[in-house]
Amino acid sequence: MKEKQCIILRGGGNSYNKKKIKVRNYPIIVFLLLLSLSGRSQEKENFKLFTDRDVYISGETLLLKVYAPSDERSKVVSVDLINFIGKKITGINLETNENQSNGTIYLPDSLSSGTYILHTFSRSETTHTLKEIYVANRFSGVTETNTLTRPSGEKPENDLKLSTLQIDKIEKSYKKRENGFVELNLPKDLSERLKGNLDVSIAKIIPDYNSDSFIFHTKQNLAQGNNKEGIIIEGIVIDKKTSQPFKNAVVTLSIPDSLPVFRYYITKSDGHFFFQLKNYYGLITSVLQCYDKTKNQPLKIIIKNDSSLQGSLQTLGAGSLSPGIRKVISRDIEAVTIRKIFNHQYIKLLPLNPHKKESYPFYGVPNNIVYPRLFLDLADFTEISRELLPGVRFRTNSRIPSLQLLNSGSAQYFIDQPLVILDGIPIMDLNAIKDLNSKKIDRIEICLNERFYGDLSFSGVLAIYTNSPDISRYGESDELVRYTMNGIQPKSTLNPPPDQLSTEPDLRNVILWEPSVIPKPYLQFNFRTSDITGKYRLIIRGKGTDGSIIYNEKTFEVN
Amino acid sequence: MANRIIYIIMLLGLLTATSSMAQDQESGNWDTEKIKGTRHFPYPSYSGNPYLTDKFISGEIDFADGEKIEKLFLRYSTYRDEVIYFNRGISAQIVIDKLSISGFTLFGDDGTKRVFRQQYFNGFNSGNRFFEVLSDREITLLAYRSVVLQYCPVYNNEIGIVKNMEYVPSFNYYLYTNKDGYIPIKIGKNPFLSKFTKPNQKLVRKLLRQNKITIKDEPGMVKALELVEANRIAINF
Repeated sequence: MKEKQCIILRGGGNSYNKKKIKVRNYPIIVFLLLLSLSGRSQEKENFKLFTDRDVYISGETLLLKVYAPSDERSKVVSVDLINFIGKKITGINLETNENQSNGTIYLPDSLSSGTYILHTFSRSETTHTLKEIYVANRFSGVTETNTLTRPSGEKPENDLKLSTLQIDKIEKSYKKRENGFVELNLPKDLSERLKGNLDVSIAKIIPDYNSDSFIFHTKQNLAQGNNKEGIIIEGIVIDKKTSQPFKNAVVTLSIPDSLPVFRYYITKSDGHFFFQLKNYYGLITSVLQCYDKTKNQPLKIIIKNDSSLQGSLQTLGAGSLSPGIRKVISRDIEAVTIRKIFNHQYIKLLPLNPHKKESYPFYGVPNNIVYPRLFLDLADFTEISRELLPGVRFRTNSRIPSLQLLNSGSAQYFIDQPLVILDGIPIMDLNAIKDLNSKKIDRIEICLNERFYGDLSFSGVLAIYTNSPDISRYGESDELVRYTMNGIQPKSTLNPPPDQLSTEPDLRNVILWEPSVIPKPYLQFNFRTSDITGKYRLIIRGKGTDGSIIYNEKTFEVN
Repeated sequence: MANRIIYIIMLLGLLTATSSMAQDQESGNWDTEKIKGTRHFPYPSYSGNPYLTDKFISGEIDFADGEKIEKLFLRYSTYRDEVIYFNRGISAQIVIDKLSISGFTLFGDDGTKRVFRQQYFNGFNSGNRFFEVLSDREITLLAYRSVVLQYCPVYNNEIGIVKNMEYVPSFNYYLYTNKDGYIPIKIGKNPFLSKFTKPNQKLVRKLLRQNKITIKDEPGMVKALELVEANRIAINF
């Protein structure tokens, strides 16, 4: 009876290797196998990126919608515009909501005509998505030669076109500046299959030109720090002498702002550091510094830029632009040029979601705030400290400045130098402040107590805010790096079309863009055609609960 | 051989688990930097306890920005109305900036949980205070645990120094609603009944008797308040 409760494992066909495992161990093995296989289920879904059009003119703004995999842990998706050798030109970071997001990318005027790639990725996914677009330079026109370098590679699963996603009331043709409307009907079973929002758009298409999407597998390990919301800045600190990763280095990140931002990270044996910036929008200018806590060892800080695919895109195919396409693009170039002349802005930013911000600086509520301009002109900081700053002892002996603050808790001066902040950036070298006179300084904030910020302690804080803050005054070195990065892109929408009777030209290529539509059984959208004639496509798209993209489309002409 | 396979598989499972735990360690590096404060200097030594607890106990902090940090060593100073955190990494007692936090929770060795919330108090000596939340329902019962330093008959402390001051607890209780604000209340049956209209007082007295609730301490007060709320009897604010 006991023999029947055993499973026999055969090893290599050798009968001597037959061993028995008791049934009671079997569930453990199954559980552990399931545990190890659970990570592989991520491979089923990829990022899906959709753009309003496939062909653009430099100087235009591209509209995009991203569907992230359902099990995506990172709340931020990045979309980079890269050229066909993988070099990043520009990029955006988008915050996802229900694993979806939408945004815009401005295509610089300096782009030369040719194929470009939109690289969609996040920190937690090793499978990225590439989408090809064509950009024609506004000044030089389409490429002289008829051939195009086009990417090729592994293609994602085809999206599912569903006729049950009904599009009604759309005409086969419209006149210029004609009002139209479209009705969308979602059967109940289909609404139940949808996850998240729908995107609905009407944009001009160029017949016979279709851009492709590809899957790109990377081995980059970006797993650390992927479970948090916000932008991640990462890098490594190395010993300048040995070029080896350095342990216990303090890396600080400072962002000059009305309330300066300060973060720090103490490196472990791998020398890596990470910073998470949540609720930061637009372009962020920061300063990264590092120092050795114990031995004052010379260090070097290296910021890791993980988005570059330079040298990774190896498979390239060839294509061509037909005379018909070249003709349409030439007309589009004229339209964009006229739009630029009239300074038509078709996209407007939406207000940001309010979020709680710090109510006081990271170095604490100051004991004393001094505005030197309210007093007599003083020649340098030594004089300012003597005349205006009680508890601040700034002296210069043999041209070497020193600074001490009074500890209000013990009524004695601190032995160590306090934290000195100049326009929101911590500085080590006091020479940077010694020549500041009262005309250059807006205000001085002083904390006369031992301040703690996590594991860091400061023997008082002296924060100086000048009348002309300038981040470029901090010279870059191995231990100080100025770094500008993209924060989260604020949400935007299309501006309403110009007045129907306006004498100004209406040269919109996109006449409807609704990237976040809450699914309902019945939806209706109004639109107005522009002065641009040609073929337009209405597309409605959403993501199913099984991860597949479902869509339906209809085309019409504007004459 | 079979055991070896099991061990290998279990080892793989263990590695999977540790790799996911690595992220938690990273979050630790992010979290500690949030705590801002100043060094805590010991209070003058007198009889009585200027703190709520005799030692640092486990607790968690709710920050004003919505973040939360757990598993900290905390102590509440009833004398200064401030939270002190013991940073084991640098062996420092740090008074956490009051502005940066919205509340904290203390966990006793016996598993008791005490929740403190920072609220603006508009009465005498107005300002932000930490109130212990004794009952958090439609009407909240709050306790302001304060200790005052006052003169007392002369005594000798443990090392024989003559002292004439002591820390004396002075706990105040309030009923609070967002709409009506605070009303002070004392522990006891009569102070409790005084918060009701005459006809309702009889009803409340009857309910307390039927449910065998005596209001002699904080748990009794909480039970009485819950009973009144369950029976929808209005309190006069």
